[in-house]
Amino acid sequence: MEAPQYVAARVQQALAEDERTTELGIRVDVRGEQLFLRGEVTSEERRDLIAGVAEEAAPGLAVRNELTVADIREPGGEEKL
Amino acid sequence: MSKLRIAAVGDVHLGEDVRGRYREHLAGIEEKADVLLLAGDLTRHGTLEEGQVVADEFRDLPVPVVAVLGNHDHHSDRPAEIAALLRDAGIMVLHDDAVVLDIDGTRLGVVGGKGFGGGFAGKCASEFGEPEIKAFVNHTKRIADRWRRALKETEADVRVVLSHYSPVNDTLQGEPLEIYPFLGSYLLAEAADAEGADLIVHGHAHKGTEKGMTPGGIRVRNVALPVLGRAYAVYCHDGDGHC
Ligand SMILES: [Fe+2]
Ligand SMILES: [Fe+2]
Repeated sequence: MEAPQYVAARVQQALAEDERTTELGIRVDVRGEQLFLRGEVTSEERRDLIAGVAEEAAPGLAVRNELTVADIREPGGEEKL
Repeated sequence: MSKLRIAAVGDVHLGEDVRGRYREHLAGIEEKADVLLLAGDLTRHGTLEEGQVVADEFRDLPVPVVAVLGNHDHHSDRPAEIAALLRDAGIMVLHDDAVVLDIDGTRLGVVGGKGFGGGFAGKCASEFGEPEIKAFVNHTKRIADRWRRALKETEADVRVVLSHYSPVNDTLQGEPLEIYPFLGSYLLAEAADAEGADLIVHGHAHKGTEKGMTPGGIRVRNVALPVLGRAYAVYCHDGDGHC
């Protein structure tokens, strides 16, 4: 059986290199039959897309999509230099 | 000299699915800032379609916009075309050169480009060994040399260096140490310290921290959108030290 670390690395690589995602900042962990995705993305659509690409890269594992959608706050006060 | 309010953000990583969403936050920017700097990684993987989204998102703003590209904007090997799309939308794009803006009589010089990696003094790659390593390090050296020259030639009241990669490791805190050499290079800070600048703005390190400083005491700000968490930061500069 392939060590979970290699599976996680392969998924991370796929998320970075797949044209549909090109997402570098996702944390991937494999525990038993489960694959956990954590990090922040910019939209609900991307959240689903990333889970889909992860699933393709690690068929047979149950994807636990713990990604959060970050919203952009309004610009705050200025910093005086 | 009147005060100068510099808005900055990087790593907006725009694509078709978020078209129009960032622009909502730019309404009223002219009340908060005099200029907007974009610190690269404007797209997700550097396609012309994404470049067009960026151009539309930042076109026709009431303040001038100066941008550099990031590594993501290079991914599809079309950086020159993306820069052209941005320029057509009235956005100034730096490529290891400078622009001087007149803002109500104050000359703001912006110098910079993408920058590159290599690491930080004492823990960095050097031009030694295989040609691949030499090429990597040489790329950063040439960029730093061009910035040094551009800074030397830029006459302005306020000078800001705009980069994608980081010039210092202060603003990388939060990133894994193992990837620091891919996040920036001290050669960029050295160039700025040699010629002098009032502020350095960069992006790229999504998990880093906002505030840092060069060895020479120039303020460094990591304005990557995930670091800021807000649409953009505003830095106020005044020759007398009060805004
Ligand atoms: Fe980025
Ligand atoms: Fe980047």
